[in-house]
Amino acid sequence: EKHLVLLRDGRTLIGYLRSIDQFANLVLHQTVERIHVGKKYGDIPRGIFVVRGENVVLLGEIDLEKESDTPLQQVSIEEILEEQRVELQAKQESERLKVQALKERGLSVPRADTLDEY
Amino acid sequence: QSLEECPLDEDEDAFQALGEEDEDIDQFNDDTFGAGAVDDDWQEAHERLAELEDKGVRSRDPDGPVGNDGDVLGDPEDALAERLTRLVIEGDLEDPAIMQAVHTRGPTQPGALNSSIWDSSAVLQRIRGPLLAQEMPSVSVLDYALPQRPPQAREEERDPSERALPRRSSSPIIGSPPVRAIPIGTPPKQAAIPNFNQQILCPKPVHIRATMQQRYPAPYGERMSPNQLCNVPNSSLLGHPFPHSVSPVLTHLQRAQLLGGAQVKPLPAGRMSPSQFARVSGLVGSPLPSVNPKLLQGRVGQMMPPAGGFRAFFGAPPAPPPSQLPHPPGPGSHLRPQMFRPDTTHLHPQHRRLLHQRQQQNRNQHRSLNGSGGDRGGHRSSHQEQICKDPYANLMLQREKDWVSKIQMMQLQSTDPYLDDYYYQNYFQKLEKLAAAEEVHRDGPKKERTKLITPQVAKLEHTYKPVQFEGSLGKLTVSSVNNPRKMIDAVVTSRSEDDETKEKQVRDKRRQTLVTIEKTYSLLLDVEDYERRYLLSLEGERPALMGERKQKICDMYDNLRGKAPGQDRLSDDHFMQIMCIRKGKRLVARILPFLSPEQAAEVLMATARNLPFLIKKDAQDEVLPCLLRPFSHVLYHLPLGTVTSLVQQLTNLPQSAAAPTNLHLTAVLQNKFGLSLLYLVLSRGEELQSSDTNTEPIQDNQWTELMLMATRELLRIPQGALAKPMSIPSNLISLFSRYVDQQKLNLLETKL
Repeated sequence: EKHLVLLRDGRTLIGYLRSIDQFANLVLHQTVERIHVGKKYGDIPRGIFVVRGENVVLLGEIDLEKESDTPLQQVSIEEILEEQRVELQAKQESERLKVQALKERGLSVPRADTLDEY
Repeated sequence: QSLEECPLDEDEDAFQALGEEDEDIDQFNDDTFGAGAVDDDWQEAHERLAELEDKGVRSRDPDGPVGNDGDVLGDPEDALAERLTRLVIEGDLEDPAIMQAVHTRGPTQPGALNSSIWDSSAVLQRIRGPLLAQEMPSVSVLDYALPQRPPQAREEERDPSERALPRRSSSPIIGSPPVRAIPIGTPPKQAAIPNFNQQILCPKPVHIRATMQQRYPAPYGERMSPNQLCNVPNSSLLGHPFPHSVSPVLTHLQRAQLLGGAQVKPLPAGRMSPSQFARVSGLVGSPLPSVNPKLLQGRVGQMMPPAGGFRAFFGAPPAPPPSQLPHPPGPGSHLRPQMFRPDTTHLHPQHRRLLHQRQQQNRNQHRSLNGSGGDRGGHRSSHQEQICKDPYANLMLQREKDWVSKIQMMQLQSTDPYLDDYYYQNYFQKLEKLAAAEEVHRDGPKKERTKLITPQVAKLEHTYKPVQFEGSLGKLTVSSVNNPRKMIDAVVTSRSEDDETKEKQVRDKRRQTLVTIEKTYSLLLDVEDYERRYLLSLEGERPALMGERKQKICDMYDNLRGKAPGQDRLSDDHFMQIMCIRKGKRLVARILPFLSPEQAAEVLMATARNLPFLIKKDAQDEVLPCLLRPFSHVLYHLPLGTVTSLVQQLTNLPQSAAAPTNLHLTAVLQNKFGLSLLYLVLSRGEELQSSDTNTEPIQDNQWTELMLMATRELLRIPQGALAKPMSIPSNLISLFSRYVDQQKLNLLETKL
């Protein structure tokens, strides 16, 4: 039974959950990291993951029947990485513009604390 | 014994960690040197077993003494084998059946089975050495030597673990929470299941020695039910490093089991048999699959209950094994319902049901796979495939899963859910009320909401007192969770300066008002809670509760009005201060239901009197409308006289001739709350007028006058200025119709 794990840094892992403990540390087997950009997604096989509990945001079981009918389109790894890079760039660009605009008006957005990744 | 004489725990050791360690060390010492291990017996047992082994070897494989083959195994494998066997042996040490079987192996070997079941004797011999070597430290070595002491076996097993307990209780670590020899974080050991049932509060595994065993779940790729074990071929499970060393161990055990026969003690036999027979049946034709000593151990706790079932099974003398082959699925499946019933009492009933459903499904699957008489090989192979597809499934034993969930449930334990988890409780109460209300209408199937039922622990009153020693001078200065020490003295100093600036005064006054509001709020929350407490309390306590409640209500009111007994209670000042603050208004709204009618009326009057002021202050907050509903409730209980005066207050009529415009009334009319309140009051008055036949004429007159004036004013005010009221009572028209003629009535209607 495949499980989907969302991590605090935004990564999505899909794998077979083998073991847990009271801190929500997880052992995932045959894990695949899935990157989503828009409507496309790409899978990167990773192997065995041991995840520390504090980095887990949520964990859910994947319904194998429903897994097949998604509107998302799977693309190759290179493509999805490229898409991700593009998206990241765009975000950074818009962020930069925003900060500049605010600066012009005399306001400043406080820098996010390094602990807050989202 | 010498080690026992230097008990470190008798030192008043302030360092808890050390204390813990020392206890551990003492335990280990005991096991290796002290009462835990008995040297003599070990040697004897070793001799005996070595003899038997030799005999066995000679009967099967005349060449190659034990020693030589020991070298054939590489060193790493040797070590692995050692550890493994230790695992296995320690798990089933108390099984005199095994040992007896070992003793009697020579004479009663069923020849037919040998070739098919026993692995190469060479491999077996390789194991013997380390196996015997590992028997040394274990307590239950006694069982090897003395087969007639099986009853003591379990006591022995428990004894070292229990030994830990007295030690702890006799010398508690001072001022600290109970010490655990093994931190909570370690997964359960053998004795975990009975412990769960006994000690809900601490899933503390008691058997310290067992820590070593726990390293091994990981390498085992397979956690199967005994029935599944039937079907697993050896090759598919490679991926862990113990292919050879593992199997012979099992065959040894198996052999023991088979040969043990009639004299087997039911309980320990129970532990062994499902896996044993599963393996037996599986072995016909194929070499033994990977061992699962962990499984055997894991099943220990769960298997204890079905001992009875096994007794019958084992009562039969060892029939030739082949004939027993069809049996395993039978008793196996018969057993399974008993075995796989871990402690689920802490789970919610729905959850438990789902769990059992799933288990049932699994069981049915297995039954259909294994229970059919014919073509078992075929079935097995399909099942085999299933296992092949996911050899890593069920890495966690059911026991482990339960253990984790147990820990998490432990965190949810609470002695007073209303205290610990107020919002959750209230939320679900509301939901349930809604559902109940809906159901009354619909009368359909109830949608079951999964509600987490947390284990409820009775509140235990502990007044903790730090340990004191008699005859010592002074007290120990140890502070801990249960006995915190005061670090800072925070003293409140009030300022009494005469030359405070006005601003400061204002600020202080506001602060005081805020404090009053907070205090009153606490009282209010308490009062609101009384209903629930009332239901929960005993009969005798109830009057006391009611008294408390009344007192609190009085206090609240005093707070509101400004408690000044000497003072003539005419000043609304205090109340106004409270009402200026947003929270104050909400507070008043919530208090009103609890006040007596007179008190409530007072509040209303005060509000009405100062309404313009309040309206002005409320411009930003706009909280006044929240008062409307409780006000209307209050109004229903008011007599006419009060209502009249209310209207008077509201409208500030009659007014002096000097003021041409009624600012008060204007303000009231222009504010949503004010207008609504006015309407409410008027409608109430109308109700009273029309319903009550024997009102006093004086009051009547007053009312009539007022109404006349009010209507005149209403007519005067331009329509645009009128606010939009929250609700227009229906009898206003009839009210006005009494005092004005038709034309004006129409005008009024349009305005409204």
